[in-house]
Amino acid sequence: MIAEDEDLNCRKASGLLSLACERPLDANELRALKVHLDECLMCTNFEEQLRFLHRCAEVFRTG
Amino acid sequence: MLLFAAMPRAPTTDPRFAEIESHRGYLVRYALSQLRDEQLAEEAVQEALLAALEGIGKFDGRSTLRTWLTSILRFKVIDIQRRLVSERANVAIDDERLVEDHEAWLDEMFDETGHWRSPPQAWNDPEAALEQRRFWQAFEMCLAGLPATASRVFFKREVLGEDTPVICRDEGITSSNCWVILHRARIALRMCLERSWFGSQAAHDR
Repeated sequence: MIAEDEDLNCRKASGLLSLACERPLDANELRALKVHLDECLMCTNFEEQLRFLHRCAEVFRTG
Repeated sequence: MLLFAAMPRAPTTDPRFAEIESHRGYLVRYALSQLRDEQLAEEAVQEALLAALEGIGKFDGRSTLRTWLTSILRFKVIDIQRRLVSERANVAIDDERLVEDHEAWLDEMFDETGHWRSPPQAWNDPEAALEQRRFWQAFEMCLAGLPATASRVFFKREVLGEDTPVICRDEGITSSNCWVILHRARIALRMCLERSWFGSQAAHDR
């Protein structure tokens, strides 16, 4: 659970990015994640890489 | 070939039979990456090849033969994985232990302030990698390098697209632990791909 005004570090942000692959994030989670990603290039890279892993799996499945 | 001995009624004059057999090495590597057991991998491949021989009339050439064979093998692998899961029904994953292990693992990934110890770098044109055979070798190697449960859960979730509740049920794990396993698998996979493919030295070597 993310508190209303909670600031995320990369450890928590990466966890939320992964969690977002499994379920929709709630409003607090989305807000906190957006604030973090606006300032953190490393986690933005991680977010893009999660998308790429998903794409890899899709291509792997379909050949 | 053993395969043909096992299919005495097969019309072995069809040249595609030899071509099917020529993919055995790849198929065994694929099955090994998923099952981590040579005997089980051979079992899956043998069953897949027999199914392919029986169903070769249905192969319409819209995909490559290897893709078609791999799709058959995937189902055989899943059958075996399901069998293994049911056989270990009494060996439940220790939820508390898993969370503790995960936190300890995250301690290695992030410093005491929660920042990446090894920050994710931007990857140069990852889409282009999808067209390269050697990238897929690296991808399979990274997948095979995951712990067995993580590799299996990631494969079911991302490759097969199974819903998380179904995976949880089949694996006998809670949804939160399923997420823990997937999160760890994703971080480990991205690290492995960065090291083996997208890293500057690896890119230079290509």
